[in-house]
Amino acid sequence: MTGSAQDLCTHCVLPLGRRLSLRHVGGEMRAFCCYGCAIAFQVRHGSREEAQANAFLVRLGVGAFLSMNIMMLSWLLYSGSLDMDGAALSGPIRLVIWLLATPAVTILGWPFALDAWREARRAQIGAAGLVVVGVGGAYAYSTAVLLFGGQDIYLDTAAMVLVLFTLGRYLEAAGRARAARDLTPMMEAESQWVARVTPDGSERCRGSDLRIGDIVRIGPGERVAVDGVVVEGSAYVDEAVISGESRRIDKFPGTRVIAGSVNMDGLLLVRCEATGIDTRWGQICRAVRRAVGARSPLQGIVDRIAAASIPLVLVVASAVLVYGAVRLPLDAAVLRSLAVLVVACPCALGLAGSLATALAVSRLARQGCIVRDGGALETLAHISTIIFDKTGTVTSGLPRMVAVATDGVSIEELLSRAAGLECHAGHALGQAIVAAAEARGLEPTAARDVRVMPGCGVAATAADGVMAAGTASWLVELGLRPWGSTVAANAQIYGARGFTVVHVGWAGHCRGVIAFENELRPEARAVIAALHRLGLRTVLHSGDLPEATRRTAEVLCIADWQARVSPEGKAELVKSWRRRSGPVAMVGDGLNDGLALVGADLGISLGSASALARETADLVLPQDSIALLPWSIELARAVRRTIVSNLAWAFGYNFVAIALAAGGKLPPIIAAALMAGSSLLVIANSLRLERFPAPAKRILANGVTSMAAADMARDAVTGLSPARMTENGDTANLNERRGDMPFAIASSMHRSTVAENETAHMMRQFGQRGPLP
Amino acid sequence: MCGGFACALRSARREGSSWLLQQSLYNGGRLATYGFIGMLAGTLGQGLNHVQIVYAAHSNHEVGWAGISAVDGSLGLAQRALSVIAGLLMVVMALQLFGFLGRRHSTAGFGAASLATVLGGIIRSPGIAAPLALGVANGFLPCPLVYAFAVQAAATGTLLPGIMTMVVFGLGTFPAMFMMSGLSGFLDAVWRARGVRLAAVFVFVLGLVTALRGLLPAELLHAYLPEHAV
Repeated sequence: MTGSAQDLCTHCVLPLGRRLSLRHVGGEMRAFCCYGCAIAFQVRHGSREEAQANAFLVRLGVGAFLSMNIMMLSWLLYSGSLDMDGAALSGPIRLVIWLLATPAVTILGWPFALDAWREARRAQIGAAGLVVVGVGGAYAYSTAVLLFGGQDIYLDTAAMVLVLFTLGRYLEAAGRARAARDLTPMMEAESQWVARVTPDGSERCRGSDLRIGDIVRIGPGERVAVDGVVVEGSAYVDEAVISGESRRIDKFPGTRVIAGSVNMDGLLLVRCEATGIDTRWGQICRAVRRAVGARSPLQGIVDRIAAASIPLVLVVASAVLVYGAVRLPLDAAVLRSLAVLVVACPCALGLAGSLATALAVSRLARQGCIVRDGGALETLAHISTIIFDKTGTVTSGLPRMVAVATDGVSIEELLSRAAGLECHAGHALGQAIVAAAEARGLEPTAARDVRVMPGCGVAATAADGVMAAGTASWLVELGLRPWGSTVAANAQIYGARGFTVVHVGWAGHCRGVIAFENELRPEARAVIAALHRLGLRTVLHSGDLPEATRRTAEVLCIADWQARVSPEGKAELVKSWRRRSGPVAMVGDGLNDGLALVGADLGISLGSASALARETADLVLPQDSIALLPWSIELARAVRRTIVSNLAWAFGYNFVAIALAAGGKLPPIIAAALMAGSSLLVIANSLRLERFPAPAKRILANGVTSMAAADMARDAVTGLSPARMTENGDTANLNERRGDMPFAIASSMHRSTVAENETAHMMRQFGQRGPLP
Repeated sequence: MCGGFACALRSARREGSSWLLQQSLYNGGRLATYGFIGMLAGTLGQGLNHVQIVYAAHSNHEVGWAGISAVDGSLGLAQRALSVIAGLLMVVMALQLFGFLGRRHSTAGFGAASLATVLGGIIRSPGIAAPLALGVANGFLPCPLVYAFAVQAAATGTLLPGIMTMVVFGLGTFPAMFMMSGLSGFLDAVWRARGVRLAAVFVFVLGLVTALRGLLPAELLHAYLPEHAV
């Protein structure tokens, strides 16, 4: 099923399913998933859109009035309370009951009859059909008894079953609407009305009709429909829909507002910069709509069972009637088969999965996590292994230049040569070099015949011959050998520390190396520890050097890691992990993760990730952060528990109730009450997900960004200090600071000390595996 | 609360139907609901009574531990407890009316809020059936006085007296409802406040009497003296 607007119920915005009903409300044809939603929608919107909208409630009220009187008379009659002239009164009272019951059954049963007729024309039979058959049978039988003589009549049962069914449907729809309340802001981007400021004043138009540059007016209490800049006015706005955090943010001329936020108090004039589905809110809306609209495999199976069960129930009811007619008095047989028909309504089954899934999708979306569909949530709850791509996933993806070592040339020359090459390459390392050169006011060296070799580096022709930046072997291939021992030695040290090293050479020699560190995301360690606590195995993959990968894995306490993995290799590794340990999730960001994301049972990408990764992912995490991953898994598990308990209840209840009803142990009125109660119980159980705790803030706040800083924090505890920084002619200290910890740069003079300390670090890290506090 | 809706009905204009007809239908609807509640309560009381009789027969006790026979028609233990509960509910309501207890918003909560929405929808509906439906729904609104009388209906321990208790209670509210609807436009706030206080006094006294019926020994309750008992 695709996630278009037509597939969702107008009232509860859950999937329409099989009990779809089309109605004219407010002059528009609208689709509802059930009769209850249709009436609840009319009640909610009636006062504005349609004068006759509340006719349903009046109908229910009058029906209840008649039914309650029928009940009272019937109970008095059958309980023997009118024992003075019971026999004499019996005839007239029965007639009065029939006179009351006929309008009651007509008034309350009519909508069910219409639904059953629609189903019949599609050659289907649904819950409405069961009700019509059951109630119609009881009414016809009772009328026949009155006309031709007989024992008891069951008009009270017929009327009360209809009242309870109608009331149950209405309450069910009210519960679903409550679940949808959270979802609504996530759904209305496309249909939002806005006030566009025109030279003559203002006009109302749809958000989708706006153009970039238009000025829109947003009054207090209104939802901002566009991304843009405030040009006039000031107000507090709440950006909870987008950021997940509900707090007031001051907006004044010049500040940006985002679509989906709510203007709390003032009046704002905003110039549009993005409208409709181009806004992040619009994209969230579309994704949520798609997620809620798509049925999960489990729900699909349940729906098929529910659809198949209805003809089965008719067969059981007929069998009970036939058996009863032979063995029991006819009235007992009628009552039993009526109870079977009433109690077997699979309403709770239909609700079991969809409501919980919709609530979870909405919870996730409010935190900025977009899930592809309910099936993805089911998978997320099942996964046993999570494979992380290193760069851009557990590290920030923005390399930080930490050290430069040169041999006989100045750092400035090295950087300007490197910048001259890398400005053509465009990858993250190149951007870092170009930015560093620009920061020092260096002009990139002019280069021509630029060749970019993916995975190797960049080469070009300069005035003094071939010039290249990249791996050592690539430079050797180009005939650029190290000039002295310093460069090679430093490259080795940097490599051993796990830094990514770029060699730069020209005029026949490799003249220097630049070392980069990929910063860990601040939340990465806490997230991995939380995943371990959830009993998940974590694996780290990277296309990077083994040293860098191993180091990251050790800092994060990830036991299994693999370096130098190609995009195809990543997909292969995902397959092998799946064979070894069951369902696998892959967390990745870049283009080269696309194959692995598709290959995994569940592809997870980051909000910042490239478009392809987002298209292939089943779950998109927000705001350039993996902090919400453990929470999402816990929520998915809670959803699974809820759905399983709902299904267990619904199946178990129907099974037991049908057995009791067939055995004559369940009067039809109690059965109808239980039927409504069963649906309400499923709703209440699903609504418990609203109380699922919000993600802890501490994972977002705490964390260590630099692996070097992580090392130093440990050194401070153990009394070991890393190599002291030294600056001489051939080694530079870029003195990057992270927090209060100066980072140390190794020099050729302190090589042995550094190497020893490195070894000590590694040894300690091996000894410290396991979740960190 | 019932009075509030009666007034709201008055302000919602309906062409072609008289005030009296609307009020009669509204109160008729309430009466049906009260009767229905009385029926349920009476059935429940009957069940409790039955349990008690079975218990008394089973344990071979002619007399329950409260010293009152459960079989001879005078008040049983369950009925006494129900009477006390009903009386206390009335006292609580009276204290609320006096303003001694903080008045909780009785339409709080999911079910009651939905019911209030329903009532709001019905009030806006045109047609002569709307007041009837409003009365039916209104009868189910949570109200301590209705609870009290429902408990009292259960205390009767039989079906017909249960229904009759609630029906008579409903009929007893008719004059007040008609007056409220008819006079609310003429009485000023001071007089309405005085009316509420007067009502509170009555409810308080009624509550005390009801509770005492559950507490006092059988000999003091002349209605249930053995010579009057069936």
